[in-house]
Amino acid sequence: MSGTDNRGTYVESTIIMTTIRLVSPFVFAYGLFVMFHGAESAGGGFQGGVIAAASLILVAFAFGIEPTREWITDGPARTAIAVGAFTFVGIGLGGIVVGGRFLEYEAYGIHHGTKYGIELVELGIGAIVAGVILSLFMNLAAGFTEDGGEQE
Amino acid sequence: MELPLYAALLTFVVLAAIVAVFLRDILSSIIALAGFSFGAAIVYVLLSAPDVALTEAAVGAGATTVLFLVTIVKTVRPSGERIFERIRWGPVALVTALFGGLLVTLPSLPRVGDPAAPVTAGEVTTYYLENAYPETGVENVVTAVLAAYRGFDTLGEATVVIAAGIAVLIVLRREVFV
Repeated sequence: MSGTDNRGTYVESTIIMTTIRLVSPFVFAYGLFVMFHGAESAGGGFQGGVIAAASLILVAFAFGIEPTREWITDGPARTAIAVGAFTFVGIGLGGIVVGGRFLEYEAYGIHHGTKYGIELVELGIGAIVAGVILSLFMNLAAGFTEDGGEQE
Repeated sequence: MELPLYAALLTFVVLAAIVAVFLRDILSSIIALAGFSFGAAIVYVLLSAPDVALTEAAVGAGATTVLFLVTIVKTVRPSGERIFERIRWGPVALVTALFGGLLVTLPSLPRVGDPAAPVTAGEVTTYYLENAYPETGVENVVTAVLAAYRGFDTLGEATVVIAAGIAVLIVLRREVFV
């Protein structure tokens, strides 16, 4: 924060670090659960993706944004977006390849094919959303831990 | 039993929204906005819309707040001691007129929970409720509609997310990082 009060943006805190070390794996797992379990309960790819990304943003808050950015570079986030998009479109086009219509899950002829198709699509959406949120956060936050809040 | 709960929650939501608009410090505004989102999420849960509630809580209260926070770090705090923004009457008149216009349409909406409302009794809803499970094997009708019946629309949604994300990232890249 610039201007009148100049608080440091990152303070190392044992309590926060320990808590987040414990909590963030569960948050990430919950994100995956919401993605996978969207077919049976509330949730789905959009929500699960945000929750999964949030678990990594928590890590960034606890351990500093710059170290986290060095750990999760832009590459994995970009890969997640691409893989998610290809999964979704691939499942759609696959339906045409096996003789059905675009996104016709039944055309695959697998038992419960529609359900598995829906779950894969949700995972794809989750990967897209998580990737976008994560790279938005990392890029917006880029550079402000080094010089105490100011950057330019 | 439920009515006071709704009344309290809706009062909280409206107050949080008003506070978010009028606070002068953007940081406090963002926090009020997060409170608004949480209140709205609880209202959605009470109205039996857990999917929407989860989205509101995760995106509205969570992700948006965080993205706003990392954005305002790059701005300057307003100087001075005033807590609330000065009111400009032109925009107030405009907003009041719009709000009044929207209020006029209110009586034509069906009551909350009305069993005869088109959205619960309509042909399309009935079809989804009756056929979603046998046709897709998915228990959550919302997911069945989202990913199966309206899968193509959802692909469009995902495309919008990607396109918007890439556009913002390109703009941000010009400043810093990689």
